[in-house]
Amino acid sequence: MLNRKFHFSVAAPLLAVAIAAAPARAQLKVVTSTTDLADIATEVGGNKITVRHIGEGYQDPHFIEAKPSFVLQLRNADVWAFVGLELEAGWMPLLLNGARNRKINPGGSGHLDVSRTIPLLDIPRGNVDRSQGDVHALGNPHYWLDPENGRRIARLFQRKFTELDPPNAAAYAANTRAFESKLTAAERAWQPQLASIREKPVVAWHTSWRYLANYTKVNIVGFMEPKPGVPPSPSHLAGLIQTMKRTGAKVIVMEPFYNRKTADFVASKTGATVLVLPPSVGGVRGLDDYVALLRSNIQKLATAVQ
Amino acid sequence: MRGLFFLCAAALVTPVVIAAQTPRTGRDSVARDSIARADSISIVRELERMQAGGDTTGNRPGGTPGQQGATNTRLLPDISVVGDMIADFSPKGSTQEGGARFGIREVEVALQAAVDPYFRGDVFLGVSDEEGISIEQAFITTTALPYGIEARLGRVLMPFGKQNQTHRHDLHTIEHSYIVQNLFSPEGLKGTGATLSKVFAPLGFYQEIQASVIDRFGESDESLVVDGLEDLGEPANQSLGGLGFAARLRNYWDLSESANIELGFSGITGKRERQLVRGSEPPGSGSIITPVGIRNQRQSVIAADLTYRWRPLQQGIYRSFILQAEYMQQRNPDGPFFVLDRDFVDAPRGTNGGGYVYARYQISRRGFVGTRFDYVADVTPVSDVSNGNPRAWSAYYEFFPSEFSKLVGGYERYNPGTSVPSGINRFIVQLAFSLGPHKPHPF
Repeated sequence: MLNRKFHFSVAAPLLAVAIAAAPARAQLKVVTSTTDLADIATEVGGNKITVRHIGEGYQDPHFIEAKPSFVLQLRNADVWAFVGLELEAGWMPLLLNGARNRKINPGGSGHLDVSRTIPLLDIPRGNVDRSQGDVHALGNPHYWLDPENGRRIARLFQRKFTELDPPNAAAYAANTRAFESKLTAAERAWQPQLASIREKPVVAWHTSWRYLANYTKVNIVGFMEPKPGVPPSPSHLAGLIQTMKRTGAKVIVMEPFYNRKTADFVASKTGATVLVLPPSVGGVRGLDDYVALLRSNIQKLATAVQ
Repeated sequence: MRGLFFLCAAALVTPVVIAAQTPRTGRDSVARDSIARADSISIVRELERMQAGGDTTGNRPGGTPGQQGATNTRLLPDISVVGDMIADFSPKGSTQEGGARFGIREVEVALQAAVDPYFRGDVFLGVSDEEGISIEQAFITTTALPYGIEARLGRVLMPFGKQNQTHRHDLHTIEHSYIVQNLFSPEGLKGTGATLSKVFAPLGFYQEIQASVIDRFGESDESLVVDGLEDLGEPANQSLGGLGFAARLRNYWDLSESANIELGFSGITGKRERQLVRGSEPPGSGSIITPVGIRNQRQSVIAADLTYRWRPLQQGIYRSFILQAEYMQQRNPDGPFFVLDRDFVDAPRGTNGGGYVYARYQISRRGFVGTRFDYVADVTPVSDVSNGNPRAWSAYYEFFPSEFSKLVGGYERYNPGTSVPSGINRFIVQLAFSLGPHKPHPF
């Protein structure tokens, strides 16, 4: 009996010390490939997670460099969320191999291909080869510019964070609802602008504007690129100018990371306006969240197209 | 009756086949897109209704409206092919191996895939007129070791120096630097063995240490004469001390979001077979030598490399700049090493250094200009008269029609040695292309 009491008297303080010394639950460490995913993850995760992103909003996401410093970010990540559909094919494999983090490698609990929750546009049918340009064989990866897909991304994050961090499930659910409400309110506000640009013809530089066009119902009548990823050729531009004159397209939408000289040339021949829109959060100063990005782009598009 | 059946079948099938072969108009294409889009969206909506909050991961096949199921159901490896073609317009004759004006330097076939949950496998086969089919690289890489350690087992481009780990067809300069060519081989230094590496950042910046043990230092020298000789000694790897040992420390810093710098240090040591010769005169006088056997001699090389990169993020597809320098020093025991009265080991001279400085500037989305200056270690065998250190200066223009093809035009002025007055002008054009999946861009 004395022996048992002795054991208890020693064990109890040790247990108390152990409990007190136990670290607080660590925040989920989330790394995303783009700023858009980072912002939506932040909306959903709130202060329960930390979020970092690899690419910047003013950078072409196809051509991000696989810097070793990114490997350090990924080494301890719990979640690696990426756009998928081979958007990151030029750099992601090097970073994942370098990070040596089983959690975020394919098959790991934190390997999150966001495209898997998205209804896709431009899925090629039939034979696909490089003669079609830098074609994405699984579908167009620029899906975040449709707010409905923003909701899908948020719900996917909620499910993933809940799976990895069940104690904070309620917070993730509440944050997701709040994000969706904010998005819905914003959508309600810009409905009149959408109605005014419906079916209006525009030209885009790259296929990255297909989802925004699908949402706004503007009609992309041609692309500056003859094929995805292929710079404009004189003969293609000559045909495009004819198309613009025929359809009455008066706006050329392009990303800030393309050289606008060519677009200015086409605009000078057609009387069109070159509209440089950021395709991602942080693409221009001040657009630091997803809803603000969509609101700004839709407002500018509506103003230019009307 | 059977004929009537075939006639009916043909009548039914023919319009379908003809329709399938009819050139599609832009309107057809738009309609097809619309159908594809409608299909995709309707499937998604249906799945979302069915699941209504049930999916938990987004990675499960049942909850993946974007990609329906696996995309590689046969679990085939990625297969890619790289073609590397050369044209040599040098005025005094081709400077290529074999003397061809137009040649296919190599065709490389790569097969890459995950082996199992623990390994990734990579096989690169080289095919060339000179060497036939050869195993360029074949290795497995661990993916599940703890503590961030990675092991690579098999034949690899040795993690030694900066440029050596780049496939020759991926170089921006058509050929490896002369220091790499002279100390190792025109295709760099390969090794068969094991490499362990670990990434760490105790000082707040990226560091990686790589340590390798390989069967032998470099490939066997094909110019060695062995036929008819009795005194062939023992193979270099007969004892464990004759294996090749290498290490590399890589340090990387971001200077800004647009600029970064990488500094590496490498070392390798091992034994290589050298010709044992009998000279008619003292070594170094250009005497007539006769091969009499083979001996092993230690070769050690240390190296340092520095790379500065600049690429503004917003204009990154139009503007970039790289400045790279690499210095290697061979630290052989200083010969000649006499075995008998006039028999000595005909190895390159002892301690000697060389390197290169290379710069490359992007002038347009698809165009780059570059220049390189080489100062080369004197690797003249001790039996021969040394010309001193060779030098070369070269300039390049690279044009990338797409990410999957490139055309490089290069001019080089090569001086075989500091004591040789005349040099050689070389004009070379390279065309390289790749087939298959999109590969990561080298960094």
